[in-house]
Amino acid sequence: LQKMGVNFTVSNKDTVKSSDVLFLAVKPPIIPFILEEVGPDIEDRHIVVSCAAGVTISSIEKKLSTFCPTPKVIRCMTNTPVIVREGATVYATGTHADVEDGKLLEQLMASVGFCTEVEEDLIDAVTGLSGSGPAYAFTALDALADGGVKMGLPRRLAVRLGAQALLGAAKMLLESEQHPGQLKDNVCSPGGATIHALHFLESGGFRSLLINAVEASCIRTRELQHLADQEKISPAAIKKTLLDKVKLESPSLSMASASKVSLFTSKSPSSKKN
Amino acid sequence: GKVPASSILASAPSDKNLDAWRESGCRTTHCNLEVLQESTLVFLATKPHVLPGVLQEIRPAVGPHHIVVSLAAGVTLQTLQRLLPAGTKVLRLMPNLPCVVQAGAMVFARGSGAGDGEAALLKSLLSSCGLCEEVPESYINIHTGLSGSGVAYVYLFAEALAEGAVKMGMPGGLASRIAAQTLLGAAKMMLETGEHPAKLRGDVCTPGGTTIHALHQLEKGALRATVMNAVEAATNRACDVAED
Repeated sequence: LQKMGVNFTVSNKDTVKSSDVLFLAVKPPIIPFILEEVGPDIEDRHIVVSCAAGVTISSIEKKLSTFCPTPKVIRCMTNTPVIVREGATVYATGTHADVEDGKLLEQLMASVGFCTEVEEDLIDAVTGLSGSGPAYAFTALDALADGGVKMGLPRRLAVRLGAQALLGAAKMLLESEQHPGQLKDNVCSPGGATIHALHFLESGGFRSLLINAVEASCIRTRELQHLADQEKISPAAIKKTLLDKVKLESPSLSMASASKVSLFTSKSPSSKKN
Repeated sequence: GKVPASSILASAPSDKNLDAWRESGCRTTHCNLEVLQESTLVFLATKPHVLPGVLQEIRPAVGPHHIVVSLAAGVTLQTLQRLLPAGTKVLRLMPNLPCVVQAGAMVFARGSGAGDGEAALLKSLLSSCGLCEEVPESYINIHTGLSGSGVAYVYLFAEALAEGAVKMGMPGGLASRIAAQTLLGAAKMMLETGEHPAKLRGDVCTPGGTTIHALHQLEKGALRATVMNAVEAATNRACDVAED
C-alpha cells in the first residue's frame, strides 16, 4: 500500500482525525476495542464502514453512541477478488447514514467490482454466496485442473484453461439476458461430450452440494454473529491477550485520498473460538 | 379427428379388438388383404413379432399408391422395406399413450420411398392426436425413452407428489387430482410460453420460500441424474430389443 502512495501511520487516532470515511477491516472480535479507542474522536462528518463478518450495525451504533449521538454506520460485505477489481460487495446503511453516504461508499467499492445496497438481514446470505464463493471456485478450479492433468495436460496449462473457462462463462452470464440453464443447453450438443459430463455432475449431486455450501456458510455466519452478540468471553480477558499482541505486531494504515478514506487493518492472532 | 369414421376400415383376427372401432362407426373386417384393397393409407399396429408374418401376407396386394405406416416398436424401416415390394412408401411411427386423449407425443420417420407429400399427410392427420414431428429414424428409440416410457415416469412422480400430500394430511383422491392438474398446468405453461424450464422454475422460487426449500430436497436426491438414467435405460433397451 505504501508503494501506491498511501499514507501510513501506527496511530488509529491520527487516522480518524485526518479522514472522513473509516474502513474497519479488523477481525470481528477486535471491533469493539477499535470502536472504544476511536470513539471519542468520531465526529458527525465521519462515516464508519465495517467490513467485519457477523458484526451488526446495531452493535456498532450501540458502542459508538456513548461517544457520538448519531454515528453514521455502514456495514459492508465484500470478497477477495476486489484485489483484481472484480469484487462483489454489498452494503447496508445504518440508522444515521444518509443516502449520499451510501452512494459514496457504493462509488468507492464499485471501483473494485460490483457493489449494491441490500437490507442488512441479507448480508449473511451474501457471505455464503459471494463472500465464500471464491473458495468454492478455487476448489472447483483445482479439481478441474486435476481432470485436465489426468487426461494429459500439463498442470500450468490446465489451471490456466480452467480459470479462463470459468471466467468466460461468468462473463457470458453477466452479459447475457439468458438463464444459465439456457446457456448450459447451448453448450450441450445432442449425445455429445458435454451432456455426458453433465450427467456425471448431476449423479454426484453437484447442484445440491453447492446449495449446501452456500447454506452452511450463511448459517455459520449467523452462528458466529450470535456468539459474538452474546459476548461469552469477558472483554477484559480478550483485551489482555489480544490487544497487546495486536499493538506490537501490526500497525494500522491510513489512506489519504480526495475524500479522506481510512483503512484500519490488523493481523489478528488466531483468536480463541468463542 | 380429420377423417370420417366410414372411411376407416380396421382389421383384426378376432372381434375383441374390433368392437371399439365399430362403436365409433368404422367398418371392420377379419381380412388384412381387404384393408389393402380398400385403403390407400394403411397403419400396421400389430405386435412386433407378428408383423413379419402380416407383411408377407399383404405383400402381394401392396402397390405404388399405398402408404404403409408401421407402429411396431423396434421394427426398422430397413426391415419393413425388405419385406415389402421395392419402392413402397413406408413410414415408421412411434406414438405414446396420451394419444387416446388427444394429447399424445408422436414422432415418425420416412423410408426411402416416402416423400414430402406422405410426410405432410401423416403429420396433418396425426396432429389431431397431439404433437407430431418428423425425425430421423435414430431418434425413435430416444423418443421411446423420453416420451413412450416417459409417461410412466410422470405417473410415478404424480403418485409420489400425492403421497407427500397424504403424509401431510390431505385425502388421497384430492391429492391425486391436484397432482395431475399441477403437472398438466406446468406442462401447459412450458408449451405455451416457450420459456426455458429453468427460467419457469426460477419464477416460482421466492427467496427463502417454500419452493426453493423443496427443490433443494430434490437436488439432494439427485433427481435430475436419476431421470437422465431412466431415459438412457429405456432408450438403450429399445435399441437392444430392436436388434433381436
